[in-house]
Amino acid sequence: MVVGNIILRLRGSLEFKCQLDSTDVPHVQKVISRTFEALGSQVKAESLVLSLSSSPVFLWPNKGGHATAGEISPNRPCKDLQQLIQTDDQESSRKKSAKKDKKNPTAGIINLTLMTEVTEPGVLSAPTLLRGSKKHHLLQTTLPMDCVVSVLSSESISVVCGTLVGALCSQLGDMEKVALRHMKGTALLIPQPFHFLLPAPVGLVTVVYPAGVPDSQLETRRKELHSLFELPDDRPYLRRANALHFPDEPYKDGYLRNPHVHLNLPALENGKPYLVQGVYSYHHYMQDRVDDNGWGCAYRSLQTICSWFQQQGYVERAVPSHKEIQQALVEVGDKQGSFLGSRQWIGSIEVAAVLDQLLGVTSKIMFVSQGSELASKGRELANHFLSEGTPIMIGGGVLAHTILGVAWSETTGQIRYLILDPHYTGAEDLQVITDKGWCGWKGPEFWDQNAYYNLCLPQRPKTI
Amino acid sequence: MGRGYIVEDVVEKYLSNLSVPGASCVTGLLIGQSSSQRDFVVLAVRTPQKDTEGQGSPSVSRGAGNSLEYLDVEWVTEHARQVDNEDNATFMKTSGLLVGSHNITQSKHCEQSLVSQSHSVIMYNNVCFLKVSRMLPGGMSVIGVFLVTPPELSKEAQNTLRRLIFAVDKHISKGRLWSLTEEDVTEKVTLHICSKTRKVVCRTYDVRDPKSSAKPADWKYQSGVCTSWPLLTCSVGLNLVFPVLEMHVLPQDMEKCMKEGLQTWAKQIEDGLCLINGDAMPGEVELLGGQKKNAKAVQQTFRAQILIPMAEPQSERRLTATVKVCSGSLTLKGMVQCRAYLHSNKPRAKHATEVIKRDVINTVSSRVEMFLEDLLMEGEDKGSVGVQQVLPRRVFAPVPGMSLCVCDYMFPDECVSDVSDRLKEMLDWETPEDSIDTSQEAVPEAPTIDLKNTVVQKNLKAKSTLDARPKTPSEDPTEAHKSHKTYYAGVAMAAAIALLATGTSLIYLSD
Repeated sequence: MVVGNIILRLRGSLEFKCQLDSTDVPHVQKVISRTFEALGSQVKAESLVLSLSSSPVFLWPNKGGHATAGEISPNRPCKDLQQLIQTDDQESSRKKSAKKDKKNPTAGIINLTLMTEVTEPGVLSAPTLLRGSKKHHLLQTTLPMDCVVSVLSSESISVVCGTLVGALCSQLGDMEKVALRHMKGTALLIPQPFHFLLPAPVGLVTVVYPAGVPDSQLETRRKELHSLFELPDDRPYLRRANALHFPDEPYKDGYLRNPHVHLNLPALENGKPYLVQGVYSYHHYMQDRVDDNGWGCAYRSLQTICSWFQQQGYVERAVPSHKEIQQALVEVGDKQGSFLGSRQWIGSIEVAAVLDQLLGVTSKIMFVSQGSELASKGRELANHFLSEGTPIMIGGGVLAHTILGVAWSETTGQIRYLILDPHYTGAEDLQVITDKGWCGWKGPEFWDQNAYYNLCLPQRPKTI
Repeated sequence: MGRGYIVEDVVEKYLSNLSVPGASCVTGLLIGQSSSQRDFVVLAVRTPQKDTEGQGSPSVSRGAGNSLEYLDVEWVTEHARQVDNEDNATFMKTSGLLVGSHNITQSKHCEQSLVSQSHSVIMYNNVCFLKVSRMLPGGMSVIGVFLVTPPELSKEAQNTLRRLIFAVDKHISKGRLWSLTEEDVTEKVTLHICSKTRKVVCRTYDVRDPKSSAKPADWKYQSGVCTSWPLLTCSVGLNLVFPVLEMHVLPQDMEKCMKEGLQTWAKQIEDGLCLINGDAMPGEVELLGGQKKNAKAVQQTFRAQILIPMAEPQSERRLTATVKVCSGSLTLKGMVQCRAYLHSNKPRAKHATEVIKRDVINTVSSRVEMFLEDLLMEGEDKGSVGVQQVLPRRVFAPVPGMSLCVCDYMFPDECVSDVSDRLKEMLDWETPEDSIDTSQEAVPEAPTIDLKNTVVQKNLKAKSTLDARPKTPSEDPTEAHKSHKTYYAGVAMAAAIALLATGTSLIYLSD
């Protein structure tokens, strides 16, 4: 994210309506194209209005950026728009909101909605009624427009309006291509835009995918895009699950995402942090109305790992429940039928087996005969987080935990472990979780020095 | 505590000047605006007499001794077909009327005549009410009825008034595309005037409650009630395409298809955002807040703008576009001119947005209704498929002595004198033809010439005759439309050239 830039997000629905007089392919394609062309004109019309969310401000982008509020004139910088947005009252004791916004590259998004002014003069004559009597198929849907532009905060409103309209037009063009590519007869798959934050220098891109076509069938498209954006061809960047999650949209499932980003890094002399890559959800005791207090810690760690694979786009299946985990172990023959419905613990081996069975993910197993040995595993763990970046499940003694990263000094050998503790039984309260160390940095003394430990290090499948 | 009606002086003059011959009765409508605290009446209009020398409908022998001599039953029933037959029956049952019953004795008793003719009276008033309400811009509506009777019928008058006001309100709610809100006043006023003593009895009924009883109300005359009523204006562009699903058959189902489509559009307008003079004011803001008290009352004009989302997002999680098999389509295109008045008793922004939006919806649905009624009467013109038919356009006329306007709709084959006649008939006043403003909505003559259409270029040379009616369109309506388009383009160019030629020759002549 470029400093000094503002992100504007424009969303809305455009009505797509067309009459197909015949169903032969060239005619259908011509009509679809013509309809998209008409929508392009609509978007460039003077009657287009952009509503600034949570404010009484409306902008007419095709009238030079003219606005309703008197204090906003088209040549003012677009960052002035932010001051007009009425934010919700800040929650009182949330220290996190103020300082953490800097870490969040997509903070300060200006949201806009598409509207039209019906009172904008266009055709000037009194109404007429035209009756058509040709039999036809009427195709109708709404297109879910969703454009994101990143502009300098000093850029004038009128120029930004032009950029937004341009983004709308180009999205319509993308949607037309997708619609035509995947059309079968009169079945028009609705084109849906997704935003991705790709590694520098690419940044924010928007890709349109057809609704209902699973990621597995869109590999060719992704290959084209990977080569276009010069992305590595062995890990997913453009699956739907990889789509950028905007900070102003809360996750609907209720799980916390990446609580570790709210922690301060430990200060080690010549030490560097090696952290999990991407997004995971925090799974712990008592969630999903399952009382697994005392026996489910490894299951929860496994769930955290599964959530990582789902959100990085490797799998589409949802995070498995305790039942499904037990079922998988019975299926691979690792456990007897009596295992189902029991409260038996599982270890790293079982975790690896389930990852393989349900997600097709292979894992490396690391064994230490004594907890004290973990202090010397800095390099290995660092390498894991560098190359794979997946959360590690560690089981030993009577406990299971998830390792999300290490801070390790090559010179001094000092090491800290970023631990996500599945034994937490409370609510999804980020403040409590970080303050009380349920997600926190621990030293080597955290491990039982005499117990033996098994670590499951999941490996990323090589796929896009 | 009853409602208080502030009434224009001219209404008093009108009512006292009403000629009520002998023992007959006169009904009429009261027009104005109701707000939560006060009600204003600005016009009173008697139910028009049917002129037997008038257009078309034959006169029926008037019953001997029937005081309501001007009632023409056939005219009534012909216009009453607008009203649902079922409603007639229900109404008649509940009010204990029997039309054509042998129980009714021939007598000069107005009330008995009223009873026997009550059905017709109600129907007739419904018709007039509908026609009058179409003439009222936003904010103005029929808020009551009056009845002038001879003294001996004063006791029975209340009953009749009650039946009248309920029927009239029921009739107006039908076909209305917008819904009443909790803030809407549902009390309507009934005024009884004794023809001899000129005594006025004013009562209100809550038309939402069929069992409601009469409540007393104040009736006070004042001058200049509406001189400073603010005016809101806007013009709304329409570009609506309604599908005609294959199970529907035109022209019979045309009304149904249009109604469904218009209902969706009306909801969008109702839910839309309204800017007043370019500002998105919160609803509670007083519109006339800037005016000092006792300042000279001036009518202010406000410009309204209506913003709606470009489309409603899909409610279900659909993956594909919906496909409907259609046998045709109806396209409604053009611009409608809208006007609404607010009262001057601390009107708020939310009232302003309400009245102008309602006018937008009403003007479109009124002219569509009128067009369909006309179509039904005139019969289906086979040549009308694929041809753009012009809907009646809105014209405005000033109310004599006031700063208000009423409106009317002119069919393409009508002229200003027709409007003037209608205003006289329905609203009972003379309107000089040159005061009728027909300029607000332009006549759609020639569709825009598409210069990219090379067929136009070729046809320009071919067409030279000025033929009023377009040729019969071919089977393909889109092609018909195109040739219609090119034809008109040719005509327009020819006309333009002719004018230019005339102009040029004039210049030469003047030299």
